[in-house]
Amino acid sequence: MKKVTIFFLLLIFVLTAFVSVSQLFVVPKGWPKPNYDFSKNPLSKEKIELGRALFYDPILSRDNSISCASCHNPYNAFANANHQLSLGIEDKTGSRNAPVLVNLAWEKKFMWDGAINHLDMQSLFPITHPDEMGEQLDHVISKLKGSTIYPRLFYKAYQDSIVTGEHLLKAIAQFMLTLVSSNSKYDSVMRHQAVFSNQEKNGYQLFKKNCNSCHTEPLFTNHEFENNGLPINKILKDFGRMKVTGLAIDSLKFKVPTLRNIQYSSPYMHDGRFTRLQDVLKHYTLGIQKSSTLSQKIQQSIVLTSNERVDIIAFLLTLSDNSFILNPSFNFAKHNLYQ
Amino acid sequence: MKSGIATIIVFFTINTVVLFAQTTSNRILNFQPKFGNEDLQLIEAVYTTKNNDSIWIDVFKCYVSNIALLQNGKVVWQEKNSFHLINSAEQESLRLMLQTPVALTFDAIQFNVGIDSVTNVSGAMGGDLDPTNGMYWTWQSGYINIKLEGRSNKCLTRNNAFTFHLGGYQFPYNALQKVMISIQQNEKINIVTDIQKFISSIDLTTQNQIMTPGKSAMFLSNQFSTIFSELKQ
Repeated sequence: MKKVTIFFLLLIFVLTAFVSVSQLFVVPKGWPKPNYDFSKNPLSKEKIELGRALFYDPILSRDNSISCASCHNPYNAFANANHQLSLGIEDKTGSRNAPVLVNLAWEKKFMWDGAINHLDMQSLFPITHPDEMGEQLDHVISKLKGSTIYPRLFYKAYQDSIVTGEHLLKAIAQFMLTLVSSNSKYDSVMRHQAVFSNQEKNGYQLFKKNCNSCHTEPLFTNHEFENNGLPINKILKDFGRMKVTGLAIDSLKFKVPTLRNIQYSSPYMHDGRFTRLQDVLKHYTLGIQKSSTLSQKIQQSIVLTSNERVDIIAFLLTLSDNSFILNPSFNFAKHNLYQ
Repeated sequence: MKSGIATIIVFFTINTVVLFAQTTSNRILNFQPKFGNEDLQLIEAVYTTKNNDSIWIDVFKCYVSNIALLQNGKVVWQEKNSFHLINSAEQESLRLMLQTPVALTFDAIQFNVGIDSVTNVSGAMGGDLDPTNGMYWTWQSGYINIKLEGRSNKCLTRNNAFTFHLGGYQFPYNALQKVMISIQQNEKINIVTDIQKFISSIDLTTQNQIMTPGKSAMFLSNQFSTIFSELKQ
């Protein structure tokens, strides 16, 4: 009898330990396996907190003026509010629209053209690009080493106060991995905890017929690069993925973005050319420009009445996740500065 | 009884340590950067190319990875987790310690110049692979396998500079180079890296700046792989 009790106590102990670790990252029910290899960067509360502090700290930029959050604002699903193109130090303008940071653990490649091959390596781009943070990596490391906060936070996270590039990048990646959005009305409906309105339901049917092949559920992206028929901007002359691969077949292809929290992430497209969702829908029905690399999935015109377009937008708004936007553990953490 | 077991454990531990010490050793693998017959001196020394042009070398760094020793074409020893950043400006980086068996005989050494494609897509790593070492492309992911920078009157560029940052891991532009050279001296392996061989294989007037993966990077990486040879005693 005693043995049985001890066994169960042990079992409960093991299970609770497991739950407390796995709660740092939970794969929502029915979702695919994340692409990120967590075994190479096991999550811990302290590492996530370090990454979060770094994410909100302008120390990463050359003149200490902007942070990751300057272009990736939590209240815009970590996109850039109202700016078509991202703004860097000294009012420099980048060439693309800052995307949302949502469900990154499932992404395979990063940036609109997939130039970055791993989430760990993503933050190197904005830190070093002259039109973004314009900083030198060795200078970032020496600034962090000399700060009054970071050696302590690095020690808490890695039991080593020495700031290294590996630890810096992995900590920022850990924070970004926690940015999971899976509690929209759409998710509640899928879990049979809510129902769509008639308009949303109609929008969902139309969405599945016309949009789902690229914006595939449940992540609302197929993680591919596609040419969605946008006419090229004559000033930016951005040919997308072709710049990375050097292949003509990749001309005008950009990463298919997730549609989750699209309500908060205006403006839209790789260059932020559309401000309103109705403009986006208008593009897909009336504005597609044919070219040799146009996505196979939109070779046949998408025909939608103006009412049907409104219904699709009603459905897209069900992808808004307030618990994600307002999650306090995603916001700037003052306590990191004073602990 | 207990002390008996302890004695046996101590005895075996000492034995293992002694045996281990006897069978493995730190075999030195030494890289000696040269320009022709002269030891390479960065920034200040001026060298003369085969075409009588003046040349200065400012930066010479490269990755050496997956080191293996061979006997009669068969691998007899392989280094685990084998990634080394060789930097002409840092003497200690040129001297590697290989943990090999003492009684190992071999007639060749094999290694890669650069970082393999699997490692390239495996996220952030530390030590010599830390992406903040200056050997990583931050705007388009990938390790820089080789950095060679300098000046020559052949280059009609600003400060007469030439800059080669060679790398690329994606098909069809995988620039990784496999090098195999025969070795006569087994106790200490001395490898010469002769920059002159690389420089004399290219025309610096037309080719003086390659900093992205592609055909040129692959061609130059291949030329670069010929600079390694055993030091003639």
